[in-house]
Amino acid sequence: MRNLNKLRSGVAGLVALGMIGSAGAAAAEDVTLQYWVYSDFAQGEALALQQEFIKEFSAKHPGVKIDIVGKGDDDLTAGQVAGAASGQLPDVFMNAQSVGAQLVEVGALDNLYSKWMAMPEEYRAQFDAEALKGCMPKPDELYCLPYTGFGSLLFRNLTVLEKAGIDTSKPPATWAEWFDQMKKVKAAGLYAIPDDTLVFNSVAEIYATSGGNDSWGFDWANRKTRIDPAIMTTVLQKFVDMKDLNSSTSRNDQATKDLFISNQLAFHNIGPWVNPTYEEAAKTSGLKYDFVLIPGDTAGKTGGIRSYEMIGVAPGPHADLAFEFAAFITEKSQMARWAKLLSRYNANAAAMAEPDVSALPLIKLSVDAAHGAMDVAAPYFVDSVPSCYNSTVTDIAAATADGEYTPEAGAKEMISQLNACLAQ
Amino acid sequence: MTGMSLPPIWTILKWALALSIAAVALFPIWWMVNVVFALPGEPVSLNPRLWPTSIPAGIDKIRLILTETDFLRAYGISLLYAVLTIAGVLIIGSLAAFEFALFDFPGRKLLFGIVMLSLMVPTAVTIIPTYLLTSQLGWLNTMQGLVIPGVASAFGLFMLIQFMRAIPMDMIEAARLDGASHFQVYWHVALPLCSNALVTLAILTFMQTWGNYMWPLIVSSRPEMYTVGQVVGLFNSPLSHQTVDTVMTANLLAAIPPLLFFLIFQRKIVEGIAMSGTKG
Amino acid sequence: MSLRRYLPHYLMIAPFIVLFAMFFLYPIISGLYYSFQNWNGVKPPAFVGIANYQKIIASRDFATAMRNLMTYVAITVPLGILVALGLALLVDNFTGRWANIFRNAYFMPVVLPAFLAATIWRWIYAPNFGLLNMILGWFGRPSVNFLNDTSTMLYALVAVDVWVSAGFNMVIILAGLKNIPVELYEAARLDGASKRQQIVHITIPMLGPVLFFVVTYGLISAMQVFDKPWLLTGSSFTSYGGRRNALLFPVMDMMGRAFGSVRFGEAAAYGFILTVAIIALTAAMFMLRRWKWRK
Repeated sequence: MRNLNKLRSGVAGLVALGMIGSAGAAAAEDVTLQYWVYSDFAQGEALALQQEFIKEFSAKHPGVKIDIVGKGDDDLTAGQVAGAASGQLPDVFMNAQSVGAQLVEVGALDNLYSKWMAMPEEYRAQFDAEALKGCMPKPDELYCLPYTGFGSLLFRNLTVLEKAGIDTSKPPATWAEWFDQMKKVKAAGLYAIPDDTLVFNSVAEIYATSGGNDSWGFDWANRKTRIDPAIMTTVLQKFVDMKDLNSSTSRNDQATKDLFISNQLAFHNIGPWVNPTYEEAAKTSGLKYDFVLIPGDTAGKTGGIRSYEMIGVAPGPHADLAFEFAAFITEKSQMARWAKLLSRYNANAAAMAEPDVSALPLIKLSVDAAHGAMDVAAPYFVDSVPSCYNSTVTDIAAATADGEYTPEAGAKEMISQLNACLAQ
Repeated sequence: MTGMSLPPIWTILKWALALSIAAVALFPIWWMVNVVFALPGEPVSLNPRLWPTSIPAGIDKIRLILTETDFLRAYGISLLYAVLTIAGVLIIGSLAAFEFALFDFPGRKLLFGIVMLSLMVPTAVTIIPTYLLTSQLGWLNTMQGLVIPGVASAFGLFMLIQFMRAIPMDMIEAARLDGASHFQVYWHVALPLCSNALVTLAILTFMQTWGNYMWPLIVSSRPEMYTVGQVVGLFNSPLSHQTVDTVMTANLLAAIPPLLFFLIFQRKIVEGIAMSGTKG
Repeated sequence: MSLRRYLPHYLMIAPFIVLFAMFFLYPIISGLYYSFQNWNGVKPPAFVGIANYQKIIASRDFATAMRNLMTYVAITVPLGILVALGLALLVDNFTGRWANIFRNAYFMPVVLPAFLAATIWRWIYAPNFGLLNMILGWFGRPSVNFLNDTSTMLYALVAVDVWVSAGFNMVIILAGLKNIPVELYEAARLDGASKRQQIVHITIPMLGPVLFFVVTYGLISAMQVFDKPWLLTGSSFTSYGGRRNALLFPVMDMMGRAFGSVRFGEAAAYGFILTVAIIALTAAMFMLRRWKWRK
């Protein structure tokens, strides 16, 4: 009884506390821009540099305050979609180009074309032309400024390759050479590669060893996939061939990184973001590794995909100021500082060409990788990709590797299911 | 008699079973602690994390989380969010459950049926309309925006009704004859009799609120209103540069308050048991 | 006259009913309205009749998700409750400190954030080095890829689910056990009833309402399973369900359509199809109970 009374009075006190603690949000001062970024850009040294950019920009624009807010990948999109519904959008933000169409659809993205054209030619020429094209579904529509990005790389565990008797001085130049090395690794009792049928992006990476931009992505006008049946047949055959060589973990799994670090896995095809983990392992457990381009079917062709993050601006009363800020942070000197700090490739070609940036091995190779790579879900900003699309690709790739379809039948089935999915 | 030798065997079995289940329940958590207190980057094959291997590494990770994020503020927000929700759920839930479980009035069945139906509608259907309403009330990024939409818990009502049904009607009649008002019957008879259920519901509500992710995510978009779940979410992005160790550390820190909350309140349950035992 | 008689009752339920109407009933009704519209949350909705419903029922993912759900519910609910009941009876067999220790130990997994539980289990299930595969290795068994092998994925999820939810249900059942008057057991013991007879004839029947609650709520929440499979498969709004959609469930598909493809009308329709399924199941539960009571 006594306890219950205590509970009751405690509850009453808390209700009162809640009433006091719930005052509304503070009124804006002059102008405050909401600036949403990926959470890892709002932590540690990346945040410090972002704040330096903000300080420099505010110095030129007195009275402008910029709130930087970190969000996880999916949270960024969910937050923007919900914000669009209630009219509470961030003024300027990062996100992936691949969700651009959804953001256009809910009105979270402004068409920046006229503002962009009003910028000096010298500024506009700094950007990578291909990356910029990704922001432009039509000649007079520009929905983003391309920002950081990646081209996929092939991380090689040199210890494993040596154990399999492979000369590591020359990276494989073609798919045939690469596949030959995979078989040798398997013969040495080790894993060659992750199971690339498990993740859409890794299916795309292998597709790119045979195909390219002209046979991948969407034909939105007719709502059909651009995947070519003959190329997909070749690619599915590769998955069948690799079935017994792979580690049966996806390229994104922690277990895959563990296999690589503990010298059980020879190749890991993925973006540059695993490098910090491997660098750390090189220091602590003596991992010997390097990264090279993903070889394609013919010498000189590379596999792999590329994708960019973007800076977008929401329509609204602060759109002009927000664009100015977006233009400022994507400008050469900021992008060069950003690249040097994180060793991360970005879409400002002029910044990438700076001698002290291109001296960084990861960036130097990323530039090459991105040039030869395939856009993972182009064209962007036209329409949102239905959820069935990616899962159909991975499903049928996996089913073919399991032997449920022949490669020809798998390719045919995949394309007809993809078209049905897009037609919905 | 042979019956005399049976109890020891049964006792041994009972202990063996209880201990091995405890091991299954606890080992994964113990293992997670070891992941935090181990050097980052060591592959599991070399260090299976069966015991903590590097205390300083763990402390470094915890320090990193606490300095990089506003974790302490998020603790405060989450705690207030959870405690206010519990208060609301217990008060208005027990008031309503008292009526639904013990009395009859026109519309009772209909209202109860509607409330039960709402349990069956998945959140994803209602989250956007609820969000729009909250936004129209001007409650985005406020504590009331977090708390109030979740207070009328159909789960809580359903659970309390099940427990209140067990209250004998004669006890209520007896109180009535003593001149107690309707509210006094609720306060002095019904509530004390279902204190077990109230504490249990409080614990479960705490867990649910603490673990709630989607609602805080869209309602409190400003970092100054982030809950612990959201701060942890910053580390959970699959492609972030953070290693799994750091992510686990953030999660471990998030798990501490609910653990403490449970350990404190489980004593209340014990006291409740003692009360019902002597009541007879 | 009658209003005065019932007024106290209505006053007592008023706070609940008002808040409930605002934050649950109104959103549900507007969700129902949107399920007949083409709506992205921003642009004015456009009426499309039952097109959303037709589209979902015809879609390949819907069939997969429903099939997975039926198997999952049929396994996880009975198993989870049996384990919880077993745990509760086991804990009830201990007294004093050890009862506390065991109860707390069994409840511990409930306390963990879902993300943490999923991360831990992803490592436990990992091929080759995962804890489970290490144990299998001691017995000379080959490594199983629990979370990517379509024949084991669902069971892997059920195991995590039982691990997490058994403690939750155990606490509710224990609270029910403690509410059973001790006199009943004393009387039975005087009549010479064995421990097992006491469980069958006193404990289970007296637990009736609590068990009913646990089973019904277990069913309803299992039908809405979302975060565990989502996290175990490393899903995101644009790609979810795991290898060959073996862990695709309706709410996952619904969230993907809502936030991945911004089709809130379609997601709402999906939700109501699921709601109908849940209502049917729950109604069956209530009918079963009434039938049992009449017996």
